[in-house]
Amino acid sequence: MTFHMKSAALAALLGSVAFAAAAEDYTITVWSGGTGDSSNYRIDAISIAAEQMMREAKVRGEDLNITVEGQAWSGWDDFKQAVTLASEAENAPDIIVSGHEDIGPWSEAGLIRPIEDYVYFDTWPLNTIYPNLIQTASFNGQIWGVPQDAEARVMFWSIPALEAIGWSRDEIESLADRVQSGEFTLADMVDTVKQMQDEGVIEPGMGFGPRVSNGPDYWQFYQSFGGEMADPETGKLIVDTAALEGMYGFFADAVEQDVVSQTHLGTEWDVWHQNAAAGNYGAWHGGTWHKAQWQNQFGLEDFFGEVQYTLIPAGNEAGRANSITHPLVYLLSATSTEDESAIAAELIAMASAPDINALHAVKSAHLGISEDETQVPLYAGDEWLAAASERLAPHTNAIPNNSDFGTFWTAMYQGLESSWTGATDPAEAAQNVADSVKKSLGDNVVVR
Amino acid sequence: MTRNFALFPLMVVIILVSLPLMTMYGFLILDTFTDAPPGELWPDEFTLRHWRFLWDMSAAGNVWMATLNTAVLALSMVAVVVPVSSLAGYAISRLNLPYRRFFLAGILVMHAFPAVTLLIGVFFVLKFTGLYNTMIGVILVKGALMLPFGIWIMKGFYDAVPWEIEMAGVQDGASRLTVFWRLIVPQVKPGLVALSVFAFLDGWGEYLLPRVLAPGSEMTVMSVLLNQLIAGDDIGFDFNLFKTVGVFYTLPVIALFVIFQNRLMTIFGGGTKG
Amino acid sequence: MSSFADPTLEGARSSRPSRARRAPVSRLGLILMAPAMLLLTLFFFLPVALTGVFAFTDLSTSTGIGRGDYVVTPNLLRELGDRGMSSADLEAVSRASVTVDAETIERARAAGVDGRFLDDIEGDFLGRSFDAPSDFERDLRRLRTAPRRARDLKSAAALFETSVLNQRFTTSDGLSAKLETLAPEVTPAARAQIVDASYTGARFTTENFERLATQKETARLVANTFLYVGATLSLFNVGLGLFLAVVLFYTPKGMSSLFSTLWLLPRITPVVLYAVMWKWFTWEGGFLPILAEQVGLPSFNYMKGSVVTAWATMITLNGFIGASFGLILFSGALRAIPVQQLWASEVDGASRWQQVRRIILPQMRWPILFVTAYQTLSLLSSYEQIWLTTNGGPGRTTTVWALEAFKTALSNYTGNLEYGMGAAMALVLVVVGLVLSLIYLRLFKFNELVGRPKIEI
Repeated sequence: MTFHMKSAALAALLGSVAFAAAAEDYTITVWSGGTGDSSNYRIDAISIAAEQMMREAKVRGEDLNITVEGQAWSGWDDFKQAVTLASEAENAPDIIVSGHEDIGPWSEAGLIRPIEDYVYFDTWPLNTIYPNLIQTASFNGQIWGVPQDAEARVMFWSIPALEAIGWSRDEIESLADRVQSGEFTLADMVDTVKQMQDEGVIEPGMGFGPRVSNGPDYWQFYQSFGGEMADPETGKLIVDTAALEGMYGFFADAVEQDVVSQTHLGTEWDVWHQNAAAGNYGAWHGGTWHKAQWQNQFGLEDFFGEVQYTLIPAGNEAGRANSITHPLVYLLSATSTEDESAIAAELIAMASAPDINALHAVKSAHLGISEDETQVPLYAGDEWLAAASERLAPHTNAIPNNSDFGTFWTAMYQGLESSWTGATDPAEAAQNVADSVKKSLGDNVVVR
Repeated sequence: MTRNFALFPLMVVIILVSLPLMTMYGFLILDTFTDAPPGELWPDEFTLRHWRFLWDMSAAGNVWMATLNTAVLALSMVAVVVPVSSLAGYAISRLNLPYRRFFLAGILVMHAFPAVTLLIGVFFVLKFTGLYNTMIGVILVKGALMLPFGIWIMKGFYDAVPWEIEMAGVQDGASRLTVFWRLIVPQVKPGLVALSVFAFLDGWGEYLLPRVLAPGSEMTVMSVLLNQLIAGDDIGFDFNLFKTVGVFYTLPVIALFVIFQNRLMTIFGGGTKG
Repeated sequence: MSSFADPTLEGARSSRPSRARRAPVSRLGLILMAPAMLLLTLFFFLPVALTGVFAFTDLSTSTGIGRGDYVVTPNLLRELGDRGMSSADLEAVSRASVTVDAETIERARAAGVDGRFLDDIEGDFLGRSFDAPSDFERDLRRLRTAPRRARDLKSAAALFETSVLNQRFTTSDGLSAKLETLAPEVTPAARAQIVDASYTGARFTTENFERLATQKETARLVANTFLYVGATLSLFNVGLGLFLAVVLFYTPKGMSSLFSTLWLLPRITPVVLYAVMWKWFTWEGGFLPILAEQVGLPSFNYMKGSVVTAWATMITLNGFIGASFGLILFSGALRAIPVQQLWASEVDGASRWQQVRRIILPQMRWPILFVTAYQTLSLLSSYEQIWLTTNGGPGRTTTVWALEAFKTALSNYTGNLEYGMGAAMALVLVVVGLVLSLIYLRLFKFNELVGRPKIEI
């Protein structure tokens, strides 16, 4: 006999409707990853929405009680491990706030429910969300999550250091355009920071301060050298060996030139933040949200006076200047009851209202999720968000939602580590990545 | 016994070798009461600021609750490990069991082989017993992992009890169980005490299992709380605060250790014999 | 107590007469063993067995653990197309339509959809069909009786929909039957192929071991593990342990117990705190770098700043824990040496060094062998301290086998948890551990340890 999941779920749902007249009590749990002091609104927005929903219920004459329980994880590995294992053990939270790339594996494993079954994406506020963000929350023709924030990743430049090696005001200001047009490349960047070091402006080995750990950021360099992560048409993963070799070569060369240390990967975040905020690096790359941390926790005062910001420069002719956005999404756990999921989904929709989402965007320096949000005075009044939205956001793209991407991701970073530390030369490392990904994924990947 | 050799060079050598440890533990204590200027080794200011977490829950989270949870975990470890090991240890020492040799060999092998590498399998069992994300699950797993050690230790203590005591009891017509309870258990008291302390210490310091097997549990233990203080990429952490919380966390352990030091040595000795 | 540390004593003890008669099995013994057996079975033997099974699967986050459904997704159809399935078949399978007729209305009624709503649907849409479910949904929302909650409306709408895409079936028969009604023109063979490919759960495979055997990373992990175990063991667990034991043997009692307490501290300090003490000791702004700067040596984060110092830190911090093990064991063995022997040598005018070399060290052969054997196993599978300190860095230069197994299976940034692969790596450790243990049991005269019980009632 066919077991039709949808009808079974419906039966369960309708069964409970019979009791709708009685007071309804819900406890909605929210787990959020990568969430620190400045990003508390990932969870708090749901509480605000719950408050609002209870008022609305009261206005309709219903008695509804919602308690929101949140748990924030500061890192990602713990969080994803906890979510995965808890889902397997069927006691996952109702709402999960995670990176959009988790949709692939989690939906395949049946750990999450498509949120499009619970809310209307053609009504306010969800209909105002940028279509490209909705795209990142979709997989296999279904919308699985509601985008929670967006961002751009940025190449930062020390203005005092650029001035010290004789750059004019004009040159510094036009840098963003020159990077964007592809005129100013990664090779030029290495030359520039090398010059800073040679002239004693920046200490040796501190010219360039890349991200200290694995993250979406490194895929920007893959794109700088013409790499494409997945075929936009078919969604199939693409391993571009030449682009890998290009980016590995770039970092190996940067190490060779001593603008970054051979053991930079694995440096503590704290140390990196301190150096970035203190202007110890000539150029470094991070995310839009880091600015909030540098100002709030690491004592950077005059951001716009000290720091120039651009896209990640192109690496060669084949590539382009680019930036990667890594939207977080609100997801519904498949281990909740249908009722809990229905409430949770509506809370998520309400929390996505421009004014509520703007609290998170401005406090944590993330980009907003909708056009309307940019009109919210709080958001519109933020110089950094306005600037980043204009200069960076239009050029961003996201990593693919593909359940196999993790394999490629891990292999790419291993290759990066081994060429960075000089264990393998870039060409060989790139070939190793191509071989191992091909071996694991077979027909599901195209090697170029 | 070796009076005719000079003591002085030995003192120098031992102090030199121990210097890193002495420094680490010395400063651990010192830093909880003082502040040093950045880039300096020696503190220049006395302060009780680092201890504010005891009443200010915003400094390091709810340490009292976490301490209570840790105590519950540690005491539960004792409650699981000690009775189970002492029963099994007795059986294996004195009674005729099928496959006894095989079992004993198994205990030895397991004892030498910490099973943390089996976490995936452990998770699977917990998932099916519904114990994932509960402290009970953590206690049972941790207890089970310690059993080979506990059984082996207790077997050692039972082996050392002269069997004439038991023989006399049995010949007087007492049941084997009565003999065990009345005559044998008092004889192995030192072993029970040492094993209890050891189980407590083991539970008190445990970090990996609560974190992996009960991450969403209401019961945050000190080790997890402590590590949260230092983890994450956006908190400029405060070494001295961390160390102070750490000292607070470790004090009971040190106290226990000092009190029971001699007995622990027996068990360390015993433990090494497996 | 019997002791490995003292094989001579062991030999003497084993001359105890043993009975030849086989005694009856003790029931009491079985009862006493029961709690231990239960716990060990659940949390020790079963996990070992499961690890063995998982090692031969492709279990991962996306397959889920212990369950699998049959789902036809757009991506799956694309893959099948790449593998040569005809586009006509794929087209047929991906067909989706919404029909409002007596049958579907009845189905909705049976599922419990609100009657008034259904009446409205019947009134407005009977006999119509929609190509896109979203169109139907939009029209439904215009009805006055439409449920307020999106979920209710969408669930009701789904009952009028005929499609197989993105629906999870718990059995292959369920999916197969659905496919047959939806796309009867697809041949049974093609249908079977679709159903087979649509399984989301784990499959059995030996690929994990093939990957381990072929990837270059394996060699590095093995080399790192050898370096870690070898260096920690020889320098600290045995080397330093023996050194401390001998030195403390010659120092007065008060001082020797003071230092042995000090050296036991790392063992009893909670691992989280111990890790942070080392961070404080070796990080930028920490003790050693500041000291180095003051005396003009290179000052940087020693724990992560260079490969050599990272290794040195990692080995030392693990070694300081291990040294106490050797210290206790060797001290015990030292005390067992007959004092007369030492006195005699002193009377003969032997220097301390001669005494150590001629009398003490030769007697340490067995304890050394034992510490080596026992601690090899512990070190092989330990990763907690490494995880909390260097975490395998910089790069992956200090990653050892056990840490990599843990990370692969349970802890990495992408959340791409490869349980199967991790289990395969753990299984390798289990096998190595078992083999070593068996060798050691031979070596340490197992038979003497497990002499028969004293009273067999």
